[in-house]
Amino acid sequence: MTTGLQIQRAEVLGAEGLVKKYGNRTVVEDVSFQIRSGETYGLLGPNGAGKTTIISMVAGLIPADAGSIRIAGEVMAPSSIRARRHFGLVPQELAIYPDLTAKENLRFFGKLQGMGGQELKLRTAEVLELIGLADRAGEQTKKFSGGMKRRLNIGIGLLHRPTLLILDEPTVGVDPQSRNSILESVEVLATEGMAVLYTTHYMEEAERLCNRIAIIDVGRIQAEGTRNELVELTGGVDRIDLRGSGDVASASAALRLLPGVQKVDAGSSGIILTVHNGPGLLAPIVERAGSAGMALTAVEIVRPDLESVFLHLTGKALRD
Amino acid sequence: MKSLAGIALVEVRRFLRDRSNIFFVFIFPLLLILLLGSQFGANSGQARVGLAGDGGSGLAKALVQQLQADGLEVATAGEATVRDQLSRGRIDVGIFLADADAADFSAGRPARIEAVAASQSSAQAVLQEVRGSVQAVSTEQRQRKLLEGAGIGAAEADAVLEQASESVKRPTMELVDTNDVTQEFRGLGKFDLGAVQQLLLFVFLSSLTGAATLIKARRLGVIARVMAAPVASWQAVGGQALGRFGIAAVQGVYIMAGTALLFGVEWGNPVLAGVILAVFCAVSAAAAMVIGSVLDNDAAASGVGVGLGLVLAGLGGSMVPPEFFSGALQQVSLLTPHRWAYDAFAEVQRHGGTLTDILPQLGVLAAMAAALLVLGSFLLRRSLGRAL
Repeated sequence: MTTGLQIQRAEVLGAEGLVKKYGNRTVVEDVSFQIRSGETYGLLGPNGAGKTTIISMVAGLIPADAGSIRIAGEVMAPSSIRARRHFGLVPQELAIYPDLTAKENLRFFGKLQGMGGQELKLRTAEVLELIGLADRAGEQTKKFSGGMKRRLNIGIGLLHRPTLLILDEPTVGVDPQSRNSILESVEVLATEGMAVLYTTHYMEEAERLCNRIAIIDVGRIQAEGTRNELVELTGGVDRIDLRGSGDVASASAALRLLPGVQKVDAGSSGIILTVHNGPGLLAPIVERAGSAGMALTAVEIVRPDLESVFLHLTGKALRD
Repeated sequence: MKSLAGIALVEVRRFLRDRSNIFFVFIFPLLLILLLGSQFGANSGQARVGLAGDGGSGLAKALVQQLQADGLEVATAGEATVRDQLSRGRIDVGIFLADADAADFSAGRPARIEAVAASQSSAQAVLQEVRGSVQAVSTEQRQRKLLEGAGIGAAEADAVLEQASESVKRPTMELVDTNDVTQEFRGLGKFDLGAVQQLLLFVFLSSLTGAATLIKARRLGVIARVMAAPVASWQAVGGQALGRFGIAAVQGVYIMAGTALLFGVEWGNPVLAGVILAVFCAVSAAAAMVIGSVLDNDAAASGVGVGLGLVLAGLGGSMVPPEFFSGALQQVSLLTPHRWAYDAFAEVQRHGGTLTDILPQLGVLAAMAAALLVLGSFLLRRSLGRAL
């Protein structure tokens, strides 16, 4: 049992000291991370942060100027064939032939993965079912909606049952329904033991899917850890917004004296508090504000998120 | 190798599935060959004679028989039609027989035959052949009358004359045109020249414009995905090259087979013609790889493909035969693959050339293909980095 657990949690991807330069411009600098089986690892950063370049190096599409990559124990390099058998790539673009049918696309890429015969036939049918395109298998993909193309794009990456699935911004330009379907699929894959490398600039996706997240900016990993570990970096403070009328000034003064309140900003229509443990302090805050003569109309606790972490680490918003 | 063939097959399948290709790749070339051949095609080197007058007269029958025996193509028609065909250059010589002259000939009296030569240079040579035929008919008529005058019956006279013609063979006369160009095209069928020219033009043009699909595949990330699969990079690039070769070959074989079946085009030794086509397709495919790798915009690639394809075809003799080029233009045309392929086809098609005869042309074409393929592969790999 113990041995089985160790095998299941074996390192699938190890990247050490990756560097990529274009001329004098360094686009990826000293990037290291590891992913274990069953783990979903997120690269979170704005557009142009270097996420796709990292993925391109991991997939062996471009050589790293320095550093090393191992996939399932195999060294990855642009000339390495064996390492490529272990991963499935889902590029950001819809990397499918528009003039081939969904089935033909799957069969073509399956053959490139060395599959064939009955195995390919059965697995193609299985994947078509999985991505919900079984009834459209014989249609040319140029007739598909954006969401259907995205699902096929992912299906191709899954076809050969890779140890590692690399997803590069798979939900860009997708409607909310398809987006949710894609995220659910990734969650299922992770529970089945597949390691997933997931890049995104959507904070919510990283929070929902990833066991560990690396925050990337200007080609460097700024911080790495679980969602909670990253949030701790901001100091773990919450924000409480109080809205209402009455004696706001007296309420501000009274709240300043409450233990756990770090900062009080009073405005014409309310008060913004910076506190430790917002949910725990909510009741005394409401009581004290009321006692001081403020009639509350709305109260909101804003907990720190990855957006706050990114802002804290880089001094700019994730969507900048 | 399975991966390489798989990539190539997908490219060919996509090409065949694109409905916009049906007209421009399969129908248009044959229409053009038909049109050009009908209007400007060579006359097979066979002299064409039109005969106007009473076809049932003895003179007309004797003339038609003799002209055909001498290897001329004879068609009888009304006077207006024959004059029209003469003016359009569709026949070389028109013969006009009046009823009175036909009657005089039958009666053994002097008869006048009007012959008009067309304006093309070959017509004068044909006129000489017609004169020879008329002379033969006249001689035979004199001999027949002489025999009949000596009291031999008509049937017996014919038998004697036939016996005489079998025992004494007439000398054959070969008329050689001093014009080199005319000599070069002698023996070609009506559609033969145009078929070669349009084959080279369209195979190259379609390949270049087809480079747009390579750009689309690159932009879509399909090629990156192929490169990320457990496939050697040479196989991925080679598959693309082989796919483009397959597309060119499909069109080339279609044009060759189609023109042979529909228009009776003689391609010469089919194996050698196939070898020339294969090497030319390799050049076309490699050139498409270069275009598809250098440019990032598929619309621009189509435009460049059409422009470059037409210019090279023009310079290479696929619009006007290079035999009509000036000395300087002849030299320039040797920079194009079309010219080398044209010369190789000419050698096989017109002169019954062997593999040894076309080795220089094949060698140059193979060198062009190799150089472009190396360049195209290098550029394709570099363009992938640009696309990521």
